[in-house]
Amino acid sequence: MANPYLVVDNLTKVYERGQVLALRDLSFSVAKGEFLVVIGLSGSGKSTLLRCINRLIEPTRGRIWLDGTDVTRLSPARMRRVRRKIGMIFQQFNLVDRSTAIGNVLTGRLGYLPGWRALLGWFPKADREKALANLERVGLRDKAYVRVDQLSGGQRQRVGIARALMQDPDLLLADEPVSALDPATSHSVMQYLEQMNRQDGVTVIASLHFLSLARRYGTRIIALKDGQLVFDGPPTAIDNAKFKEIYGEDAEEVEVR
Amino acid sequence: MSPGQASARPRTNRLAGLARRGGSFLLDWMVWGYVAYGVMYLLNHYWYTRLPEHWYDTLRLPSWGWPVVVLATLEMAVWTRSLGRSLGQRAVGVALGPAAGGRLGLGRRVLRGILWHVTLPLAPVWIAQGGEPYHDRLSGSGLRPVVPDPERPARRALLTQWGIVSVLLGLLTLWVGWLIVGINIQVLIRRAPQAGRIWRDMLRPDFRYFTAPDPVFELRALRYSILDLTVVTVFMALVATVLGAAVAFPLSFFGARNVMGFGPVGWVTYAVVRGFFNVFRSIETIIWASIFAIWVGYGTVLAGILALTVHTVAALGKLYSEQVEGVAPGPLEAVWAAGGSRVQVVRHAVIPQVLPSFWAFTLYRWDINVRMSTVIALVGGGGIGDMLFYYKNQGDWPKVGAVVMVIVAVVWAMDYLSGRLRERIA
Ligand SMILES: Nc1ncnc2c1ncn2[C@@H]1O[C@H](COP(=O)(O)OP(=O)(O)OP(=O)(O)O)[C@@H](O)[C@H]1O
Ligand SMILES: [Mg+2]
Repeated sequence: MANPYLVVDNLTKVYERGQVLALRDLSFSVAKGEFLVVIGLSGSGKSTLLRCINRLIEPTRGRIWLDGTDVTRLSPARMRRVRRKIGMIFQQFNLVDRSTAIGNVLTGRLGYLPGWRALLGWFPKADREKALANLERVGLRDKAYVRVDQLSGGQRQRVGIARALMQDPDLLLADEPVSALDPATSHSVMQYLEQMNRQDGVTVIASLHFLSLARRYGTRIIALKDGQLVFDGPPTAIDNAKFKEIYGEDAEEVEVR
Repeated sequence: MSPGQASARPRTNRLAGLARRGGSFLLDWMVWGYVAYGVMYLLNHYWYTRLPEHWYDTLRLPSWGWPVVVLATLEMAVWTRSLGRSLGQRAVGVALGPAAGGRLGLGRRVLRGILWHVTLPLAPVWIAQGGEPYHDRLSGSGLRPVVPDPERPARRALLTQWGIVSVLLGLLTLWVGWLIVGINIQVLIRRAPQAGRIWRDMLRPDFRYFTAPDPVFELRALRYSILDLTVVTVFMALVATVLGAAVAFPLSFFGARNVMGFGPVGWVTYAVVRGFFNVFRSIETIIWASIFAIWVGYGTVLAGILALTVHTVAALGKLYSEQVEGVAPGPLEAVWAAGGSRVQVVRHAVIPQVLPSFWAFTLYRWDINVRMSTVIALVGGGGIGDMLFYYKNQGDWPKVGAVVMVIVAVVWAMDYLSGRLRERIA
């Protein structure tokens, strides 16, 4: 890796409330175009890690270099400019239920909009067309003006993906994007992420619960345990012994087909 | 829920903890002060008014009496707080429990009460340093948030100390209140004929001045009919509701924890805005009207509008803020993540979530304002109440009847309308 795209350097996060050490001296780097999967037990710090990268959570110590800039040092205004190039997809979709699909998708564009326009909710025509195109891409063009609370879980997550696409992201953070979905829907959602990774060259960092999904979609896997890095390597390198180390002695691997 | 905020948590937490402890103690003290007053009133009443030879006398406390009362009530507060769960402790949701584990027996509770007196001089040290107060530390106890024991059923509220005390307080209030007021129910029957005459007059309403202005009833050289003033009343309510909502809407976001963040500036803004809502809301519209009546003129519509508006801002602001604090945090997070600013988060993640309930609250407030604007004239706020109270003072009951009927019709119609609209939104 000559010129890593993202470098996480001795990252530590302590939650003051409860004195939880969520991440301890975590270091790794990600090359452009990788599909990095983060695995680990519940509470191992996956969500914390992803949210530190775009600073939805303030890291306690350590550095995060993104494309040569140290994002931990940026002012709030500069951070906003960086964030608009980082898409994010959430386990609980984080959509405004009362708004339409296109209304939600358009919010992905907010980072590019001047203040007064956003205040009035006037998105340029180009943005509206782009939103429709992105909904088309995730197969939801016919649901554009349907309220989101009338969509199924898989459809909602695809709205979430379309929202992230609006940002023209260089980096995509996906925090357990398929945990709330059934296996078949999971694969269809993961395939959209894979497509973004392959076609648009978006670097993807996704946390996943199922190792089978991680093996199928990741180009590289890192594993967290109690906030520490316990594995970093290609999907094929996780054998039974490694698996037990990450998930504990009693764990059984479950397949998602 | 806002990223990138330095936290000033521990300090504000400690102050809040101190304020809660002090507030709950004050409440307990007030409870026992109230009991002391009630007991003294009863003593006075039954001793001096029931004994014929003392009928003219009243109970007077000797000069040392007041300090004794103050001390006795303090003692009661301290001991009820140590021996069980007092009303004040219940009010802030804490209970005395063991510091280490196990049960807090009677011995340690008594010890805590005694230690309270012994360590009282050290209280300033404790306040300055923080942590648990000395009487808690030394007796191995502490005030903890109440966590219900999932393995055991909770005790019936009325069998707990605070339950018994609140029932006793209620009974005491009824008893003493009854003696003070001396309500005479017989008048209800004895004066029924007079009331009957008024009712009969009112049910033969005099609609002479429904559309024609009443020459007797003049305000600032302008003469009004019932209909004129009805329109004025609805106008007052409408202006106050619209203006009030327009001011409360932007303000409410400054009074919401999740929007303002946890930094010092956000905290101060939040506290100021919420404080404003709470204080201005607890001053009733009628009181505002009497203030504005002196300010801008007695009996003017402007006074009424200002009074209604001020109270509407505070009442709606508080309701709005609470709605804002209750929104799902997920969409806010998503807008932050997409590079949105605080204003954009509010506009695109908060407002879409709260708008329906904002409408419902505003319509509800419209109801209240219509009803309020019919009586606000009592203290100089203008509107149809002016006419109502004028005729009432003249004893012109048929005309009062006419005005009341119009008021009933208007209030009912507005109630019905806003109810239907609210149903639509929900
Ligand atoms: N806001 C918070 N305040 C205090 N502690 C927190 C907070 N958020 C997370 N934690 C703690 O930090 C640790 C890591 O949490 P995190 O949510 O990052 O784990 P995770 O790997 O995403 O788990 P899951 O798979 O359940 O989502 C946990 O022990 C959790 O209890
Ligand atoms: Mg998580």
